[in-house]
Amino acid sequence: MTKIFFATDLHGSEVCWKKFLNAARFYDADVLICGGDMTGKAIVPIVSENGAFSVVLGGEQQTVPAEQVGEVEATIRRKGYYPLRMSVERLHELDQSPEKRAVCFQEVMLEGVDRWMNMAAEKLRGSGIRCFVCPGNDDEMEVDDVVRRSELVELGEGRMVDIDGFAMISTGWSNPTPWKTHREDSEEQLAERIETMASQIADPRRAIFNLHCPPFKSGLDEAPAIDADLKLLHGGRALRPVGSTAVREAIERHQPLLSLHGHIHESKGAVKIGKTLSINPGSAYEEGMLMGAIVLLDAKKGIKSYQLVNG
Amino acid sequence: MADTTMGTAAAARPGLFLRNATGLVKAWSTFDAFVYSFWSINLITLGLYGMSYVYWVPDGQLLAAIVIFGVLTTFLVITYAMLVSVMPRTGGDYAWQSRVLGGGLGFVLSITGWWFTLFLWAPIYANILNVQFFLPLAYTLKLSGVATFFTSQTGLFVSCLIVLAFVSVVVTLGMETYARIQKICFWIGLGGLVVVCGLLLFASQSDFQHAFNREAASLFGASGNAYQSTIDLGTKAGYTQHDFGAFSLGPIFLLMPFLAFYLLWPNWGATLYGEVRGAKDIRKPFWSMFWGLWVTIGLVALVMILIVKTMGWQFYNSANAAYYNYAFYGGDATPVATWPYPVMFAGWLVDNHLFQALLIVVMGLWFFGWAGTLFLSSTRVIFAAAFDRVLPSWAANISARRRVPYGSLVLMIVPSVVISAIYSYVPKFQSVFLDATAVLALTFLATVVAAIILPWRRKDLYEASPVANYKVAGVPTITVVAVITAIFLLFMLYEWSFNSSNLYGTSFQATLNSVYYFLATYVVAIAIYVVARIVRSRQGIDLRRIHHEIPVE
Repeated sequence: MTKIFFATDLHGSEVCWKKFLNAARFYDADVLICGGDMTGKAIVPIVSENGAFSVVLGGEQQTVPAEQVGEVEATIRRKGYYPLRMSVERLHELDQSPEKRAVCFQEVMLEGVDRWMNMAAEKLRGSGIRCFVCPGNDDEMEVDDVVRRSELVELGEGRMVDIDGFAMISTGWSNPTPWKTHREDSEEQLAERIETMASQIADPRRAIFNLHCPPFKSGLDEAPAIDADLKLLHGGRALRPVGSTAVREAIERHQPLLSLHGHIHESKGAVKIGKTLSINPGSAYEEGMLMGAIVLLDAKKGIKSYQLVNG
Repeated sequence: MADTTMGTAAAARPGLFLRNATGLVKAWSTFDAFVYSFWSINLITLGLYGMSYVYWVPDGQLLAAIVIFGVLTTFLVITYAMLVSVMPRTGGDYAWQSRVLGGGLGFVLSITGWWFTLFLWAPIYANILNVQFFLPLAYTLKLSGVATFFTSQTGLFVSCLIVLAFVSVVVTLGMETYARIQKICFWIGLGGLVVVCGLLLFASQSDFQHAFNREAASLFGASGNAYQSTIDLGTKAGYTQHDFGAFSLGPIFLLMPFLAFYLLWPNWGATLYGEVRGAKDIRKPFWSMFWGLWVTIGLVALVMILIVKTMGWQFYNSANAAYYNYAFYGGDATPVATWPYPVMFAGWLVDNHLFQALLIVVMGLWFFGWAGTLFLSSTRVIFAAAFDRVLPSWAANISARRRVPYGSLVLMIVPSVVISAIYSYVPKFQSVFLDATAVLALTFLATVVAAIILPWRRKDLYEASPVANYKVAGVPTITVVAVITAIFLLFMLYEWSFNSSNLYGTSFQATLNSVYYFLATYVVAIAIYVVARIVRSRQGIDLRRIHHEIPVE
């Protein structure tokens, strides 16, 4: 039997990445799968000024001595943000130039992913545990190259891989979002992207669809309703299905054994779509909590058991 | 790539560079969340119904009790807002209790409150629908056949079915549609309340006595001075008259368990906060619940002062005492043979039955804007337990086409129909329903205990949250406010359970059937958890590890 541990949407939380790597031994898993959206959403400037450092945390500006900056950086990383030391001049430069900010973001993100890949190598070397990463719609395209160069982490995007006799296809591309992120397709393009991989699968009863975007109207895709100005409606309680129809159709057509999703952090759940067990373990990366799914695959019976955990 | 910068007023320079990424949304309106909280402690449906029992403590100063209750419940609000900020999880009480106290204890304590006890609330809602909508409307329109039907056992059961059907439709429609309905009901209902308050404000007590006597004769066939007869019947029923302004501390606290019937629920929506982005910011959940509580308290105070001014405090209490004596203890029939609905009485100040009926319909929106949320929190708790594999996975199933959570609805509706039938046709069983508030308070107490120990039991989560910044003399604020809340809840639980006079109809010594019923619900909850542990263990699933933290290093 093969035990998979799946987690997704870590969004730069270093604590969650470390837990992800440790999850293999903690849950006795054979395979780790990270479903996408690895990179963080924000840079927190730590500004060097008059021999001390100032930083805004929780909306409040704090001044910290040099010897405490490391601690502050760890706190920031824990939340999934990128701490970045800089001068006042550099701060103003980034503030005024969206282009320079974009370059800076890419640098810190790729450096972060590279650091994570090195951590994975150190942690998993010699363990026999396989680790797959499939960048999501929030991850820039250059992330793939960093993962490809990794010693032990395998890139899942756009291909079929074999996991102990089970065929897994992966994509981190999503249907269009209001944020116009890096990997967005129209439903038609997304359907084509999935079909290209799915058509290679010989036996859907031994297939895993690792698709970042959840299927439409599955209960795994309920996101808070927003208006055109991205403001949450009805106190944030109104939910709308925002999953992909292409993903749903692919699942309904091919009926894989298992489909793994993320993207919508609040929509944790496990549902059956025909013969397929579809899972979105959710994400609580800001709290440093790793939400994940443990799936035990049996060569004869298919899915022997599954469990959603908050590690 | 589009991105943005964020600064602080103090810093006047960017403290954060955000890139464009999924889920970066602007904060929700506190007003929208306030509306949900405001409905949860509905001053008309639950409020007027709950306060119709305060005649049992005639020397308790109602306004002071309401304000003190508000202050103490504010600590509950802070506790819950902090928990939401630390763990914005769907399932609320279940999630917090299971993650802090342990999976088994969390399941048993929260499921008995948010699942089993909510069965009892369906007939309570139906009873309120009857006495505040169907019956006054039928009497006002002189539809005596309809009124007679809804006073019958079958009529009450039909009301229960109407409530359950309405709740099912709301759950099916989803929160977005219902939030719109709530807002419409909010504004029109508020308009109706303004009319009620205006009528009470500009009428004198003699105007009211005249109007009451007129309509008691016209609609109920009463003769003579119905107003005075009602007061006399109240006295005969055992109500002892006290001035509204009389102040005595002990009786004020004895009023608290009555007020809990409606004022203890500003946190009703906390089970949904897992779906609310931005809930980690403690201010939003806090202010929405805080204003929901205190706007209601302000309006309750206003309504009660106007009732006292125009209807008279002795009349208000006597009418309630006489009605309950007639309805439950075989006392003399009251001149107005229905629950003394203050809205209906206020409408009588206008000598026009069409206007009176319209006012009842408009004020009925306080029911329909509120009742739909009856099972919304329950379905979320069932979902959370199903995702944890404690309940079968079908409990969290939703239909593909209309997104109906049919699994959880079946688990709520079927037992509720059975319980409603028992409520309607077996009157001696009704004492159990008086405990519905107490069991939910016990569920809250378990959550509050979880909050007290959270900084030590889940240090990782606590220290990663904004709540960790709040301390009182070095002690985590969440612990301090939760201890105060726990004392408050324990006081009420003690009174509900052991009041020597059985003031609330729930004292253990007088209501053994209730004790057995609730013990049975806890036994069933324990049994479900034990069975789940055994079954899942055979499937290779260890339920204990759901909340075990993975080591970081």
